[in-house]
Amino acid sequence: MSAVRSPERIDLPDMLDVGGRQARRRRRTVRTVEAAVAMPVLLALLLLGALLFDVITDTLSWQVLAPAGSGRSFAFAEGFAPFGSWDRVMRLELAARGVPAEDIEPLLAAPEERRVLEARNRVEFMPWVDGRPFRWLVTTVSDELVADRPLWSGLASRRELLAAAEPGQVVVLNAWLDPAFVLRNASRSPLVAGLLPAFVGSLLLVGLVILLAVPIGVGTAVYLEEYASDTRLARLIELNLSNLAGVPSVVYGILGLTVFVRLMRLGPVVLAGALTLTLLVVPVVVVAAREAIRSVPPSLRQAAYGLGATRSQVVLRVVLPNAVAGITTGVVLAIARTIGETAPLLVLGAAAFVPRPPDGLLSTFTAIPIQIYSWVSENDVEFTHAASAAIVVLLAVLAVLYGIAYYLRRRFASR
Amino acid sequence: MRLRAGARARERLFGGALLALACLSVLTTAGVVAVLVFEATTFFSDPLVSLREFFTGRQWTPLFADQRFGILPLLTGTMMVTGIALVVGVPLGLMSAVYLSEFATARRRRRVTFVLELLAGVPTVVLGYFALLFVTPLLQRFVPGLDLFNPLSAGLVMGFMILPTVSSISTDAMQAVPVALRQAAYGMGATQVQLIWRVVLPASLSGIVASVILAFSRAVGETMIVTLAAGQRPLFTLDPRETIATMTSFIVQAASGDQPAGSLAARSLYAVAATLFAITLALNLVSQIVVRRFRERYE
Repeated sequence: MSAVRSPERIDLPDMLDVGGRQARRRRRTVRTVEAAVAMPVLLALLLLGALLFDVITDTLSWQVLAPAGSGRSFAFAEGFAPFGSWDRVMRLELAARGVPAEDIEPLLAAPEERRVLEARNRVEFMPWVDGRPFRWLVTTVSDELVADRPLWSGLASRRELLAAAEPGQVVVLNAWLDPAFVLRNASRSPLVAGLLPAFVGSLLLVGLVILLAVPIGVGTAVYLEEYASDTRLARLIELNLSNLAGVPSVVYGILGLTVFVRLMRLGPVVLAGALTLTLLVVPVVVVAAREAIRSVPPSLRQAAYGLGATRSQVVLRVVLPNAVAGITTGVVLAIARTIGETAPLLVLGAAAFVPRPPDGLLSTFTAIPIQIYSWVSENDVEFTHAASAAIVVLLAVLAVLYGIAYYLRRRFASR
Repeated sequence: MRLRAGARARERLFGGALLALACLSVLTTAGVVAVLVFEATTFFSDPLVSLREFFTGRQWTPLFADQRFGILPLLTGTMMVTGIALVVGVPLGLMSAVYLSEFATARRRRRVTFVLELLAGVPTVVLGYFALLFVTPLLQRFVPGLDLFNPLSAGLVMGFMILPTVSSISTDAMQAVPVALRQAAYGMGATQVQLIWRVVLPASLSGIVASVILAFSRAVGETMIVTLAAGQRPLFTLDPRETIATMTSFIVQAASGDQPAGSLAARSLYAVAATLFAITLALNLVSQIVVRRFRERYE
């Protein structure tokens, strides 16, 4: 039911006292109250803004490095090549380190040598190096970090950092979030730690959860809407669903730990994580799917029955095709939930440090939120930067998902 | 209608399959209850543990050599964070609900709802990061003696986490107040403010109470914000500046540590989880009863 909220809503006393002092006072009170109750929205926006600002600025920091490599940086144009920047910059760096020109190509071509190079060196794109913008710098595992200042405090003390840097040291503005960060394997060293294993872990989880949760959720919704009469069983299922939605997610983690990890002896693997998260998101899918199914007009069903369709035919050919947009919205929200959920996976024993992406459903794994948690709890400035970069990736993925859900819902609502 | 035998069997099979899928959710609940009850009973049947000490003891040290199992420190920790979250989140949520339901134009309402949904969509691990690395340093400037891990900043941020819950359920309740009641109030010369105070809020009270209880339950069960920002040191205190532990943060700590499965320390987490589950279940049931029993019916 919609309330009367039209602007010409009538304040009778006001009409009798148009322009009177009392009416003006009343209108002022109403306006003050309106401004007051709109405050929390402003606060929520402020908080979101502060959060984004904090996370994004944390991905950048001023650093003083004592490089173990050449310590030379290269102009963007010098090193850039589509998909080949690593090789180009590495050639320049090796030359700068004094490797004879004729040795460089064989070094890059030999698989074994290349692997060692890749493990020890990292070609980084820095927004600012020693006073010059947009440079390539090769950092190595043995680099020493002399100082690390947050972006804003460092802006004031950049001159100071430059002055204090000893010969051979490099002052850089390090952007932790670059394409290489997402494509790099994890590491114990924050300088070369990457998000790839967690990213792949999250993708695998999402894939599995969709495969499992969509049939279960949609099936449950169809049963409740199209099959169940008001029986005791149907009411039990409904009551149960509304209570499941209120169970804290850690408790699901404990269920997963006990049943999937220990009882079924799966261990803390991708499959166990996916099964646990499936249980968690099924209610989300059910709620959305039920709403979508309920909004399919009964006349469509009656028409199908009138043509002699059986119940399963009505469900499969009439109800579900017409409910697909709403169901998809629910699935997208479930995916968002899967990607952001941390606690159950942590309880399950998803490993904090997984060097490489999982290579199957039965290998140990980590996920983006777990990686964020473990980097934050390292209590180390540089890992904090890595965590903030991972958060930006996570929020970007979620933004895309919510965008899709928002778009679907608007299209769905307009029909 | 007559169907061939094969078609009839197919129909049966389809219906049966759907029923089986629907029953999976009941199985989930049964699984949760079975696991918690079984493991918690095993825990309490250990000679080192007594029910009385569990509910009245002021020390919680299952991970130390001198094991004590009194859950009160975890409960006070949980209640402190939850209390701060409610103090922040409930008034803000109710105010935004009044705004959405009584003042905002349809267009404004859509936008504001979108902002609140964004807030609800931020993963809690991100909120925990924000509480620990932004809110705590900020608060430390104003609050002397504030620990790095403290329930104050965790509770503040959690307040914003529950704001959308309070707001969306309360908005629905307020919008369900019939037009006739509003018109009657206006007809008697009420201003809009009087209408809100004396008609809309009382008429939607059951929905508002339900939203607060649900938010309470969500705050009790929230894990990542407290694990990251409030700490993992069970301390029997009501000082919001000191590092504490909550039920959820203990569960994470115990589960991600390396206690051998089956040890008393590992079992203690099931006792905590059972307590947590009982509290949230009770809260959810109460909120459902409030909605069903005390809803004003307008026919």
